Formats: sequence, C-alpha cells, structure tokens
Amino acid sequence: MDKLDRPPFAITKTRTRFLGLTLDECVQAFFGGNAFVAVVVLGLITFFIFREGSGFFNQNWANLELYRKAGLEFVDHLKQQEEDHTALIRYLFDLRVRTVKHYTDEEGMSLANANKRLMAFDDYSYDFGDAVEPLRGAVMDLGDWVSMVKTRALVTEDRLEEQRQLLAVGKVDEAAAIKIEEIDFGAELQPLLAFRPAYAEINAEFAAGLLRVLALPDPDLPTPELQARLAKFKVLVGGYIEEFPRIEKALLDWDYTKPVPFAKAVSSFAVGGRWLTASFWQDWYGVVPLFTGSLMVSMVALAIAVPLGVGAAIYVNQLAGEREQRFIKPCIEFISAIPSVVLGFFGIAVLGQAIRVLSQWEALSWVPGFPVAERLNALTAGVLLALIAVPTIFTLAEDALQNVPRAFKEASFALGATRLQTILRIIMPAALSGIISAVLLGFGRVIGETMVVLLCAGNRIAIPDFTTGFAAFTQPVHTMTGIIAQEMGEVVQGGIHYRSLFVVGMLLFVIALVINYLAQKIVQRYRISIG
Amino acid sequence: MSDQSQHLFSSRPSARRRAESGVAWIFRLATYIILLAGVVVFGDIVIKGSRTVFQSEFPFINVAFLTEAPKSLYVFEHEGEHYEMADDDFRDFRESVEAQALAAGEPAPELKAKTYVYSAGGIFPNIVGTILLVVGSMTIALVLGVASAIYLNEYAKQGAWVRFIRLAILNLAGVPSIVFGLFGFGMFVIFFGWNVSLMAGWFTLAFMVLPVVITASEESLKAVPMGFREGSLALGATKWQTIRKAVLPYATPGILTSSILGIARVAGETAPIMFTAAYVVRDKLPWQVEQAMDFFFQGVMALPYHIYVVSSKIPQNEYSERVQYGTAFVFLAIVALIATSSIILRNRLRARYRW
Repeated sequence: MDKLDRPPFAITKTRTRFLGLTLDECVQAFFGGNAFVAVVVLGLITFFIFREGSGFFNQNWANLELYRKAGLEFVDHLKQQEEDHTALIRYLFDLRVRTVKHYTDEEGMSLANANKRLMAFDDYSYDFGDAVEPLRGAVMDLGDWVSMVKTRALVTEDRLEEQRQLLAVGKVDEAAAIKIEEIDFGAELQPLLAFRPAYAEINAEFAAGLLRVLALPDPDLPTPELQARLAKFKVLVGGYIEEFPRIEKALLDWDYTKPVPFAKAVSSFAVGGRWLTASFWQDWYGVVPLFTGSLMVSMVALAIAVPLGVGAAIYVNQLAGEREQRFIKPCIEFISAIPSVVLGFFGIAVLGQAIRVLSQWEALSWVPGFPVAERLNALTAGVLLALIAVPTIFTLAEDALQNVPRAFKEASFALGATRLQTILRIIMPAALSGIISAVLLGFGRVIGETMVVLLCAGNRIAIPDFTTGFAAFTQPVHTMTGIIAQEMGEVVQGGIHYRSLFVVGMLLFVIALVINYLAQKIVQRYRISIG
Repeated sequence: MSDQSQHLFSSRPSARRRAESGVAWIFRLATYIILLAGVVVFGDIVIKGSRTVFQSEFPFINVAFLTEAPKSLYVFEHEGEHYEMADDDFRDFRESVEAQALAAGEPAPELKAKTYVYSAGGIFPNIVGTILLVVGSMTIALVLGVASAIYLNEYAKQGAWVRFIRLAILNLAGVPSIVFGLFGFGMFVIFFGWNVSLMAGWFTLAFMVLPVVITASEESLKAVPMGFREGSLALGATKWQTIRKAVLPYATPGILTSSILGIARVAGETAPIMFTAAYVVRDKLPWQVEQAMDFFFQGVMALPYHIYVVSSKIPQNEYSERVQYGTAFVFLAIVALIATSSIILRNRLRARYRW
C-alpha cells in the first residue's frame, strides 16, 4: 500500500473562495442576509410603534394627575354647570326662532312685527340668562387662577427636565443655576377650598333667580306645539336645579391629594369621548370619537360594497359569458388602481356637491338625514371608500367561487336544480368562507384608508348625535387614520400628543392584524373540497 | 326551424323562470353599477383634466404644464382688458406698465390683481419627485424582497420558524399605509434625524411594499414545479446554478408582475410620504444641490401630495380647478399606465408559461 504510487484523482475541481466561503455559500449568505434584514426591519417596525406608543399611558396619567392637583377638575364641575345653563338658553333661542318662523310664514307678519310680538318672550329669556351671573363670575376667577397654577406647574416640570438633562451631561453649575419653584398645591388651592362655603350661597342665589323666572307669567306663544315646548323647558329647568346639591356634594368631596388610578389613564383613552389637543385648558385624548368615525365610514362603505362586490363576483363567475368575463375582470382591477388621493379629490370636487344636490331633492326627503347639512360627511367618504373596497371584495370572492369544485355544480345540475338554485344553495354555501374572508379583508382595506377620509369625511372631532338615528351618517366625522395624517405634522417629539398618535397607530396596527389573521383562519378552517 | 313554443321540451315561461332571470339581472346590475362608478370617476377626471393637459393647437399637449414649476396666478383687469398671468410674467408686465407710465410722465397705475396660489405654471417638479421616490423605494424593496423570498423558499429549512415568519409577513401586508408613515416619521425623520428627505421617503415606502413583494415573489417561486429543481440537481448542478438556470427564469414573470403592482402602489400612496418626503413647495429641482449628499437628504414635491394640497388647502374656484384636474389627470394616467402594463404582462406571460 504505497500512497505515492497512486495516480492523482483525475478530476480536480478548483473552487474560488471568498473569505473561506465557496461561491454557493456566498450566494446563500447574500440571500440569507437580505432575508434577515427584511425580517429584522419588519420586526423593528412593530417594535418601534409599540415602543413609542407605550409611553403614552404614563404621560396621560401625569396629565390627569395635574388636572386634579392644579384644581382644573374642581373648576370643571362649575364649568359644566354653567354650560348646562347655556344649553338651556340655546333651547329658548331655538324656541324663539321657531316662533318667529311661525309668525312670518304662517301668519304673514313682517319680521319687525314678529319681533315686537316676542318682546315679552325676550324679557323672559334675558331674565333667565342673567340668573347665571353670580356663578359665571366665580367660574371666570377660579378658572384663571387654576390655569395659572397649572402653567406654573408645567414650567417647573420643564425646568426639572432641563436640569436633569444638564446633570446627565455633567454641567453641574448650569444645573444648579436653574431656579426651580416648588409648588405647594395645598397652598395654591386655598382660594378653591375657601370658595366652597361661598358656593352654597351662590348656588342658592342662582337657583332662586331661576325659580323667580319660572314663576313669571308664561310669555305668549301662538301654537299649542310651541307652548308644549315651553312647558318642556320648565321641566328641564326643574331637573337642572335639582342637580345643584349633587354638584355641591361633588365639590365638597373633591380632594386634590386623592391619587388618580392608573386605570383612569387607560380608560380616558379607550372610552374617553373627547379628543382635544393643544387646548389652553386641558387636553383630552379619548379615542371614541375617532373610532366611531372610522367605524361609521366603514359601515357605509361595506353596506354598499358587499352587495355590489359579491353580486358582481357571482355574476362574473357563474352567469357571464366568457367574453363578458374577459372584459369585466380587468376593468374592476383597473378601478383598484385609482389612487385614493384621486378618489378623495373626486369626492371634494364632484361627489360631495352631488350628494348635497341629490339630498335636496323633494322625492328623497324621506331618507334620514336628508337634506344634508355638510357637503363632506361620513356618507360622502363612505361612498368613495366603497369604490376602494369593491375590487378587493370582488377579486377575492371571485377566487373563492372559482375554487368551488366543478363537480358540485355538475351534481346539482344532474339532480335537476336550476341555475339559480345551484348558485344560491350549492355554490354560495361552499364558497361562503372565502366570501366572508373577502369581506373582512375589504373591511381592513377601508378602515386603514387615509386620504379619502382625510379629504372627504368632514374632519369634525365629535361623536355623532345618534339620537337622530340614521341621520347620524350624514354628519361630519373624524377618523383614526385621518387624525394621524392631520396632526402628525404639528407634534413635539416624545410629547404626549406625539405618543397619543402612536397609540392610535398601534390600535390600527392591531385591528389590521386581527382582521388579516381572522380572514386566513376562516378560509383554512372552512375550506370545502372533494374528499 | 320548428316553432319553439310548440316543442315538448322547450322552456315555457313560468313564475320561477321569471324570478330566475330577475335575480340574474340583479347580479348583472351590480356588476355594471361598479363599472359605471369607475367610468364616472375616470371620465370626470379625464375630461376635465384633458382641458388642462391638452390643447387645440400644435403641439396639442400643454408643454408648459408638464415642464414648469407651480406658480401663483395673477388675475387682473388693466385698461379694460382681462389678464391671467403667472407671477414672473406679472412682474414683467407690471414693470413694463410702470416704465410706460414713467415715460409718459404719468403716475404709475396700480394693478389690482387677485392671487391664486399654485394655479399657474405646471407640475414638473412633482413628476420628477414622484419618479425619484418610486425608483429609489422600488430598488430597495425589490433587492430586499426578492432576495428574501428566494432565501425563504429555496434555502431556509421549512420549519415552524419559517412558517411563523411567513405568517407575520403576510399579516404585515395588510397594515394601513398611514401606520408605515407614522413609523417612517418617528424612525427616520425624527429618531435618525434625516428630516423630511428622499431617504426617509424611500425607506418608508420600501418597507411598506416589502411584505407585498416578498409574498408575491414567494408565490411565483412556489409555482415553479419541484421537478425542475430536482432534475437540475440530479444533473450535478449546484444549488445556485439550479436557482439561476432552472427556477428564476420561470419565476421571473410572476415576480415582475408583482413588482409592477408594487410600483403602482408606491406611486399612488400619499399617506406614507406626507411627513417623510413631501414638501408643499420647493423652488429648486432635486438635482440642483451643492453637494452630492444633499441629494439624498432633500425633500421633494410629489404628485399625490400636490393633489392633496391643491384640493384641500386652497379654495375651490375656476382657476384652481384647472391645476387640480390637470394634476389628477396626469397622476391617474401614470398610475393607470403602470397598472395596465402589469395586467397585460401578466396575461401574456400566464399564457406562455404553462406546465
């Protein structure tokens, strides 16, 4: 066995090596590296959004804490009382408008005469309005005072932060030079606490004033309907006065040292009905108005898009001829290529006005909410979003119908079922899971759409008045996507407003994930196939 | 030809039959309502937009609209005549009028003009900006996306881990674009300090389409039959040779189609670039920079953002309508062109590769 005698192996393969790797391994490393980067980046997006958002709740907690400590909460009880009174005045004013309308339209009186006839009524409402004076004065004084306390507290916080930053970089002298004013909330809130006994007196005076007005002889109103409204007004005022002791008690129980529970910071976001930012009084970050807006717009869109999209899918897949199919499918795909900002522009330029003109049409006055007050509202945005959702729903539903095994159809026909029976009883149930997931994905597409709602939904941050029934859909709304697009440009990095927008983004992110996941699960779970 | 109604097996009209065709008509109606809606939107923008973009004299296309920057429009009356001018023309005109008045020894007449911002000039910088954004972001997205798809489908060991990644990517594809915009703003613009810049826009848009590109590329790689790979490997080819010669050529059509759809999506999105890359107005064109690095860190004007600005930030009137519809038309034409080419390409290639 002599090794040297053996001839060398006939085929030798020389391999180029870079850094000890063969070409193949290099290629693999390149692809692997890219895949790694992509996965890391996508993970990073998720992480970043959640990281930026997570700080919000602590900041909101501090925000609410300061709201209580600086006494804003105290004054808000009083402000609320004053606002309720203003609402009652507005009721009276509305009554006056109705009466004037009656005088001029029904009785053909001139405006001047009508106003003359309403002199007694006007005196009545002025007296009613003046009754609030003692309260209003107190609210103004206390409001100014607590605003000042709050501002000082915020300045102190800023200075502390500045000092911390200076210390962090080692500038001890500069840090020591910053003057920090300690705020003793107990001492600062003395005027508020001292106000409490006086408040009982003010309240008594206020209530007496209101009752005095109520005891006046009723102003003359022409119709029983209007008189009934006045009677209702009196009942409302009675209820309003009955609330006074409750407010007094709330003020007596109010204690600035009572800590705000952390759950409040979360709940004021999750179920808070006010989204109010950059306000000089108090910022609120309640997502409910935005969420309702998003949901309403999506509901309008789906109510239109689902019947149309699914109907078209059934038609194209089951009823249309080959040539018609070849024409319709690309056309609908083409619609999906219209950029959303162009659709939004179309809404502003054409559709909004068209809906308004349509709604003023006499024959359509039975539709709730018609004629519409605002050109841009949930309905306008919803109709446009339907056009965005339709191609998604159509394509996916058509796929689902296509995937139903041919044998199902043939068997049904063989048993003597008609075409319609086959479609409705055999094909539709078999494709139902796919159609449901198509609708879900369409919903996901609509709720995440930004430009159309930003341009066409009206952008009013308020929960629509649902007491009006379906008419609520013709009111302007604001949406979660819209608020991010609108307010992102004006926030300070790391501030509570900045983080609140990230929390809204987080919410959208989670909604999108859940919808996508559900859609996939439904398809997998209920897929029907032969065997 | 016998009389159909007399034939034994011929269909006779019945209530059921009528109901059947009625329901079929409802479905047909649904289909054509959709098409009608599409036609109305397209028609409105194309008809009103073509008034701005096209003209009746040679060269039939409004070249100024496509090659000039947005300007303010000055509308005024002078000596009984009605004038509409862009701001630079207006300045020249005013100077000439003043010079004339001076020569004649009269006090200079005051030109009372109404201004309409963005309503004159054209949209050239916006077109350039959009092209730059699309090219840059699609380069990033395609390199990352296709390579990742090849790795996930060809190299990675198919286990729970890869399945999880695949599911995560699939789900990320449905995340709203504004969320990516939010991420881009927080990460690139603020955290990295890139400010509103091309770079920030590129990466934001690229990451937005990345899940779509990966998923679609993987789909087309999966569609290549396993036998191709096995045959190639059996002949002694290495893994890379197999992928290059036996897999990629057959997967390319699918990858191409999906990437063109990605381009249409990137070009059409407004929300992600609102805070990361787009400027309302910028005097300089992107290549007018002092240093090469400035090129990457400058904001640009973009078509979709311009549409947003001119449709929501300036009042609606006959003058602003021209630029609104013109911009929308050009933008729609570009996006539709991309989308159509992808649809045609797919149909062609689908017919060619069958196994």
